[in-house]
Amino acid sequence: MGSRSSQRMSVISLQPDALSRVVDSLSGETPSELRQRAMQQFIKRGFPTTRDENWKYSDLSNIVDISERWLAQVDDAPLEALDETQIREIQASIDATWLVFANGHLHKELSSALTAAAISVTGIDDATDISIDEPLADLNAALMTDGIVIRIGENERIKKPVGLLFVDRAASRPLTSHARVVVSLDSGSSARFIEYHVSSGDANHYSNVVIDVTLGNGAELDYVRIQNRGRNHSQTQRLSVRLEKDSSIRHFGMDLGGVFTRNDLNIDIVAAGVSAEFNGLYIGSDKQHIDNHTRVDHRVGPATSVQEYRGIMSGRSRCVWNGKAIVHKGADGSDATQTNHNLLLSKHSEINAKPQLEIYADEVKCAHGTTVGQLNDNALFYLQTRGLDRQEAKRVLTRAFATTVVEKSPIVELRQLIASQLEARLDELDDGDSA
Amino acid sequence: MLDITNLEVRTGDTDILRGLSLSVKAGEVHAIMGPNGSGKSTLAQVIAGHDAYEVTGGSITFNGNNLFDLEPEERAREGIFLGFQYPVEIPGVNNAYLLKAAMNARRKHQSLPEIDAFEFLKLAREKMATLGMDPKFLNRGVNEGFSGGEKKRNEILQMAMLEPRLAILDETDSGLDIDAMKAVAGGINALRSPDRAIILITHYQRLLEYVEPDFVHVLSEGRIARSGDKSLALKLEEQGYEWVREAASA
Repeated sequence: MGSRSSQRMSVISLQPDALSRVVDSLSGETPSELRQRAMQQFIKRGFPTTRDENWKYSDLSNIVDISERWLAQVDDAPLEALDETQIREIQASIDATWLVFANGHLHKELSSALTAAAISVTGIDDATDISIDEPLADLNAALMTDGIVIRIGENERIKKPVGLLFVDRAASRPLTSHARVVVSLDSGSSARFIEYHVSSGDANHYSNVVIDVTLGNGAELDYVRIQNRGRNHSQTQRLSVRLEKDSSIRHFGMDLGGVFTRNDLNIDIVAAGVSAEFNGLYIGSDKQHIDNHTRVDHRVGPATSVQEYRGIMSGRSRCVWNGKAIVHKGADGSDATQTNHNLLLSKHSEINAKPQLEIYADEVKCAHGTTVGQLNDNALFYLQTRGLDRQEAKRVLTRAFATTVVEKSPIVELRQLIASQLEARLDELDDGDSA
Repeated sequence: MLDITNLEVRTGDTDILRGLSLSVKAGEVHAIMGPNGSGKSTLAQVIAGHDAYEVTGGSITFNGNNLFDLEPEERAREGIFLGFQYPVEIPGVNNAYLLKAAMNARRKHQSLPEIDAFEFLKLAREKMATLGMDPKFLNRGVNEGFSGGEKKRNEILQMAMLEPRLAILDETDSGLDIDAMKAVAGGINALRSPDRAIILITHYQRLLEYVEPDFVHVLSEGRIARSGDKSLALKLEEQGYEWVREAASA
């Protein structure tokens, strides 16, 4: 299509006056200068749109709409009452040191008291760097109600998982929450983190979480993210991990809920000897949209990155997996493997899967494999001839498909919980099938 | 027990079975032999209920019930077992899980309680020992990474655990070395009893040296061209299938 010089790409931002009024009203520990800068940057750049290559399949229109409606009535809004039962149930089922963000606010009463010297939790003003490097991180920095900095001291080995619980409730009107966490594991330390997203309420909600992690020399991090939000709630989430020499991360993410989910996982390998393993499972049904974008930058070799994501889609769900691995010039000895398998249970569901390898170094080992398929008819028949009815046989094969990657979840104590959530989710898929 | 009358089956545009009749009574062992493409495996798959085949004529009854009224899983619960020529690999599904699920599906159908976990394990270990299988196979994915011989032993293990009324073994002997052949034959012989029937589908006479059939049938061009006792298998071994075909078309 021809374009005229007068045509400009329109920026989809938020109404500057309304945004400015809200940003000015926020106190907290965020330096106001940073908030202002982030806001200006956001107003200028606006929300990502489907014209951006990285957002081609994920349309933020609804999130823009929720944000606008929230901004229009934020002044006289009392806090929504929390669903404390939901929070306490999660805390009872997982033994962890919990830090609870409720509608974006750090909820001190529901959070564990941290007394250990090995781990320190302070306000966001302690962060050496609050990233404002892309529109949603800018919006987050401008609007964050609370942010925290978690620091694991040198050579400290923290056994008990640290749980980051993002719990939101939007019952009577649209809400948004913008929480930020900065984590650093000092050299030689190790820790285990659980990032858990839940929400409730019938109104629309948008959660925008930004987590920046730095792993010092030889640090080890096990990380599990579980997203099981309410069905009319949306989230964008970004986890960036910078890995120093000989450090390692094992990550597993599971997306079950929400109406719109976009996760960005950025792995930045800046020194040799790094090992990064990141895996994920997403299950979409109805009209759910789940988008996982991963990016690993191999800046220095030798280092290894391995990822496997698996997706199950039913109903009219639409999922995206985009795995990008960039091996930078000189990063010899880099080894990057990407795998993505998808199971389509309905002919109306959709997966957009894209592995991307960009290699600028000479001595590298890179591989990727993506599959999209249905349940194997031969396997279904085999199970039926052993007495399992067709529905049960489908369940067995679907569960097996998911279990293969669930087993890679690094925090053993969570396996039971993940398995039972998976089972409950598969029940929902069955119900959807027969409907 | 099993009565097949004038069975006609096609897949796509190809007629595979063209008026096959066979009657199998409890306590009998039947061997069905025949050249490649004669319809042996199709017969096994149709009895088990595979939906890739279209039955265009004839009937199959199992203990008086019309088999075509039953889903594959219902046939299994009624006591029909198919040992696959190419057992399917199912990664992520534990072998023990499948065995237990299969046994419990059958038991539920018989209004029996689920098998006790301890009893199950004891039984499985016993059967595996007689088949020369490492107990570790219980905790592996179903047939996942199994060798050809291991897959066939695993089929026989399932059969031994399920104790079917009618076992159809589709080329269970193919690709087996002599030790595996003996183990598999032992498993089949252990199942022989007056209230059970066994159909062995095989290309070669070799298995029949270890499992002695009561009847041998030769399948040719979708029909049973000749039936006899075990001496028929020996004759086929010596003279090949050509004479059957010639005799049939003569």
